[in-house]
Amino acid sequence: MADVTEKFQQAGPKVQPGAKEEMVYTWPYLVSIEAIMAVTMILALTIMSTFVNAPLLDLANADITPNPAKAPWYFLGLQELLLHMHPALAGVIVPTAALVLLGMIPYIDRDRRGTGIWFSTKKGVPIAVFAAIYTAVIEITLVVVDEFLIIPGIHPDGSKGIGPLLKFGLAKAFGIKEVWTAWIGEILIPIIFMIAIPWILASWVKRRYKANTREVMISLYTFYLTSFVVLSLIGTAFRGESMHLMWPWQVKPPH
Amino acid sequence: MGLWAKFKNTTLYKSIYRNDYPDTPRNQVLVILNSVVLHLHPVKLPRRAVRVSYTWGLGGLSLLMFLILTLTGVWLMFYYVPAVPHGYQSMKFLDTNVIFGPFARNMHRWAAHGMVIAVWLHMTRVFYTGSYKPPREFNWVIGVVLFLVTVLLSFTGYLLPWDQLAYWAIMVGSNMAKVSPVVGTYVQQALLGGFDIGPATLIRWYTLHVILLPLACIALMAMHFWRIRKDGGISTPIPYDEDGETDQLNDNNEGKS
Repeated sequence: MADVTEKFQQAGPKVQPGAKEEMVYTWPYLVSIEAIMAVTMILALTIMSTFVNAPLLDLANADITPNPAKAPWYFLGLQELLLHMHPALAGVIVPTAALVLLGMIPYIDRDRRGTGIWFSTKKGVPIAVFAAIYTAVIEITLVVVDEFLIIPGIHPDGSKGIGPLLKFGLAKAFGIKEVWTAWIGEILIPIIFMIAIPWILASWVKRRYKANTREVMISLYTFYLTSFVVLSLIGTAFRGESMHLMWPWQVKPPH
Repeated sequence: MGLWAKFKNTTLYKSIYRNDYPDTPRNQVLVILNSVVLHLHPVKLPRRAVRVSYTWGLGGLSLLMFLILTLTGVWLMFYYVPAVPHGYQSMKFLDTNVIFGPFARNMHRWAAHGMVIAVWLHMTRVFYTGSYKPPREFNWVIGVVLFLVTVLLSFTGYLLPWDQLAYWAIMVGSNMAKVSPVVGTYVQQALLGGFDIGPATLIRWYTLHVILLPLACIALMAMHFWRIRKDGGISTPIPYDEDGETDQLNDNNEGKS
């Protein structure tokens, strides 16, 4: 989209045409760095493998369910979503959509300017910081609200959060059948949230920073990145027995 | 003449190394061209791309983890029996009766986590430096698929110790697959080899883990590395004019290395 990008938005470090790249030999300039990094990494892994043992619990037993049962850490973000929406959405549709959208990035942002420069433009870093704070605040708020929200008179005993609020609230207010209210709470509302949060972010960034395609893309990738980190952290360190929210020191390691 | 210098004069040495130590420009070129591993690199590259703060070496570290995992993985295969409950017993055996057994298992585990993290950080680095932009679009797509393969490699390996941690983590994971719209039960049947996680699941995941997924990973890595060179080498800023008139945005011929 080179033609729609305003000149003044390209305020990053400039490379003048004709300015030649300074070239160096791969040996030794790159090869030495690669060797140092490889040795350092092998050393670090060796030290860690000497002192920290990989976990091995009791023999697998289908009759003894650990509490909580957690997926590997990189799926804990998805497992966190599982607590707030329909499992098909959290376990299949969201990760598939995330991968497809990631793959589509270079087919949407086609302007070559900004290649090879961290955050591409001067606005890149502020936009990334803004997007990270926006995403973290909204997602942490939603997780906490969905865990603790109780509105007397609507939430029946023992139920908390947004799903039951809709389920029973809508049934009370409009007499909508429970099958439909469950569907609204588990599928419709989460989808609306998951589309609205990045959508509002993108429009906000466009307006506030007069962002071009690359800069909007930075805000959206930061949304994905922050979501992954925030949700995985909550799932790993803040979910204990029965997947209730608690402080990390209250979460018992798997046993 | 020292022993080493004498050895360097032998036919044997000269048949292995075709050039002298690379301390002259000519030999610095030849060392890259003559070596199967080094020739993945160009002979020269932009100074700005060599800075650690540009790439953080994350792509290379991902490859390194893959190599470590291959070596330790083959070693583990000498002892591991993919059956119920022999899989668990071989873990116990490895931890108590095999010299360096716990070390190899630890190394495999930590490098596996390390590879997932390194690949993910590498993707993030490539994104924030805008290195997915044309003409590198498809290499980015291959990278996304490699990320998926890396996670699947880790996930299939997670079940193999056949302990409570493995079993229930996979239970949580595969229950997610079960609820896929339309194809859910088929996916689960194919993945588990039945209705529940059992001996059939273990042998399936073992096979995927030790042969199919690594082969897929190697094939995709070959394409990934090849295309880095074909798409113009490591990404560098695109020269463009202040006026924006004579920019080289759509000139695909420049920047080949």
